[in-house]
Order: sequence, then C-alpha cells, then structure tokens
Amino acid sequence: MRLTMRTTSAEETREVGEALASLLRMRDAVMLCGELGAGKTTFAQGVARGLGIEEQVSSPTFTLIKEYSGILDLAHVDVYRLDMVQDVVDLGLEELGGGDDVLLIEWGDTIEELLPEERLRVELMTDDPAGESVRSISISATGTGWSDRFAELEAAMLPWWPNT
Amino acid sequence: MIVIGIDTSTPQTSVAIGTENEILAKASVAGASRQESVTPLLQELLRRSDLTLSQVGGVAVGIGPGLFTGLRVGVATAKTLAQVVNVPVVGITSLDALAYAVRYSPRRIAAVIDARRKEVFSAIYRAVPGGIVRERDYEVHAPDRLAAELQAMPGEVLAVGNGAMLYRHVLEEIGSRIEFASSIVAHPEAAAMVELAVPRLLREEHDRLFDIVPLYLRKSDAEIAWDRRARGV
Repeated sequence: MRLTMRTTSAEETREVGEALASLLRMRDAVMLCGELGAGKTTFAQGVARGLGIEEQVSSPTFTLIKEYSGILDLAHVDVYRLDMVQDVVDLGLEELGGGDDVLLIEWGDTIEELLPEERLRVELMTDDPAGESVRSISISATGTGWSDRFAELEAAMLPWWPNT
Repeated sequence: MIVIGIDTSTPQTSVAIGTENEILAKASVAGASRQESVTPLLQELLRRSDLTLSQVGGVAVGIGPGLFTGLRVGVATAKTLAQVVNVPVVGITSLDALAYAVRYSPRRIAAVIDARRKEVFSAIYRAVPGGIVRERDYEVHAPDRLAAELQAMPGEVLAVGNGAMLYRHVLEEIGSRIEFASSIVAHPEAAAMVELAVPRLLREEHDRLFDIVPLYLRKSDAEIAWDRRARGV
C-alpha cells in the first residue's frame, strides 16, 4: 500500500499533513523521511495543525523531542543529531505521553527497528530541479494496523494525486 | 537507622521511610507516570513522621529494570538526596523487590514488569529462609519467550508484577502450574526497597554513589545506520 501525492508549495505540504492528522489515532507512529530541506518539519506543522495544536511547531533537531498537546498529544522527534542506537533507546519513545502520544519521527527510517511494528512512512522529495517548492510525498504503511484506514487515507489524499 | 526508599520504575511512584524494625511511613501514587510527585511525597512523609532529612541514615532506590523516564527521576532524586545529606545509597532492582514481597510461597516466583513495545522485563526466583534467591539473569524479552522459559521449568510458578497482569493470557498458556499474584502487589514498593536495603546499609555494603545507574536491559552498542541514508553535510 503506497500513495504518492504532489504539492507545489509549503502550505500545500502542510495541508497534506493536516489531512493525514484527521486519520491518526493514539500511539500511531509516523516516520518522516527525506533529505535536509525536503519538508519534514513543514509536513509536521500540518499534522500538528490537524491535531488542533496551536503552538508553533519548529524543528526538534536540537531539542530531540518536543511534545505538544492537542486533540491527540503529539511527540515530534528528530534523531538527526544522534549516532548510537542506544541514544534513541534512551529517549524512551514508547513512554512519551504515558505511551499515548502520536509519534512523528524525523529521519525515522534510520531507526526502524526501534519503532512500533505498525507505522506509517512518509517520504518527502524535492521533485523539480526548477521549482524548489514542488514536492512529491509518498505514504506507505508497515504492519496491519493501517489496513482498515488505508482506503480512508487514500480518499483524504485525493486532492493531491498527481494528474497522470 | 532511618532509611528513605524510592521506586519509580513502573507507572507507580512509591516512597517510604523505615528502620530495621518497621516502616514508619509510606505512600504510593499509581496510574499514569507521576514521578514529579517523588519529592513532595517524601517531604510530606518526613513532616508527618516528625523527621528531618538530617536524621536519615541511608537511601534505598529502585534501579529498574523499568520505565526510562521514571528511573532517571528516581535514581537522580535518590543520588541527590544521598549526596546532600551525605549518607550512603543502595540500589535495589525492581524485580527483586517484586519477588521479595511475595516470598512466602513454595512456588518459583517469576517477577515480570511491562517493558512496553510488547516486551517484559523478568527474572526467576525461589524463596529461601529470610529472603529470595534469583535463579536466572534479568531478561528483556517477548511474553511468549518468557512463557516458553517457564514451560521448560519443572514445578509450580507464581507470576507477579504489572507485566504478568498485562500478559496473563500469554503466560496462562503454560497451564495450571502458574498462578498470578494479586494486582495489589503488581508494582515494586519503596517499603520493600527499604527492607532489602537496611541489612546492607547496616553491614556498610552500600553502593558507591556514582556506580548507581538505572538498569537498562535494552543496551545496544549499535550505531545508527546513517550510511544507509546520507546525513547530508
């Protein structure tokens, strides 16, 4: 199961995140993948908005974890500065918000073995060398936890399907 | 000797004050992680017992295995206290404390704490006169692995701890040889920490302050696989 969307502005990338947020449940884990500047934090801002979080969401690269409270509580994590698997273990991701937080993990694909079996992978790519603001966003699910929601996810993402 | 006990290795925060003869005061807050209540609870217990910190002769602290966030708060609090009052500190494992509390049983005791992510921390004990003896090393593994381990052991088992409660359905598969201890003893109690620590403090077998660290069973020497993904410049 894999969906690929296309956005042409940062705001549109946020809207995709916001649309995803409407389907999230407690304890969901979402890995945000993509190079520096691919729009991981921008996407996270959209998710936060969709979860009714009013606080400004910025990159947690230096704080490692930032927690926000909303309709669902969100933990925004960035493992970019970490080198050892033990450093990630020490973050105690499974305990954030008493274990109930939605986890958004930037660079999460590097520590997949530490994440819940059932998780979403969101991959952001700058697509167009001419236009910096064009992004392709792929969403895929691991495990069975998303199979009952994937059709809904597909519908929610419809506005951003590329015209092919 | 007046000893303060602290345990925060599970979602229950527990503090106690005791001597070699009795527990003078204790309090536990269960439910969601509430480690921020450790210091206020201790202050309250000292106040109600008409004690001051200067009368305290030692600190007993639960070092896990258990929840990271809680352990760090508990161990840091205990070490700070010990350093400020200049008294020795003793680390007690959460699994030892669980097993110790149900030692009046001819059964083997499996102490099991929920490790999250569908795993449990566990250790196997048997009761001996005056205490318990641990028969296996501390482990972190999936509940069905623990069940298989128990299955392979002869005799009857008493399973205790919040992990045993949570995965009762898995552990029950080994049949009628297993019995489950009540939920009222499912979390390590600071009072047990005090009882276990007092003899060691009296024998001056305390731990060196900087040697006390939380018992993290999920140790990993692995590096994050950044080579698979370029980390940019």
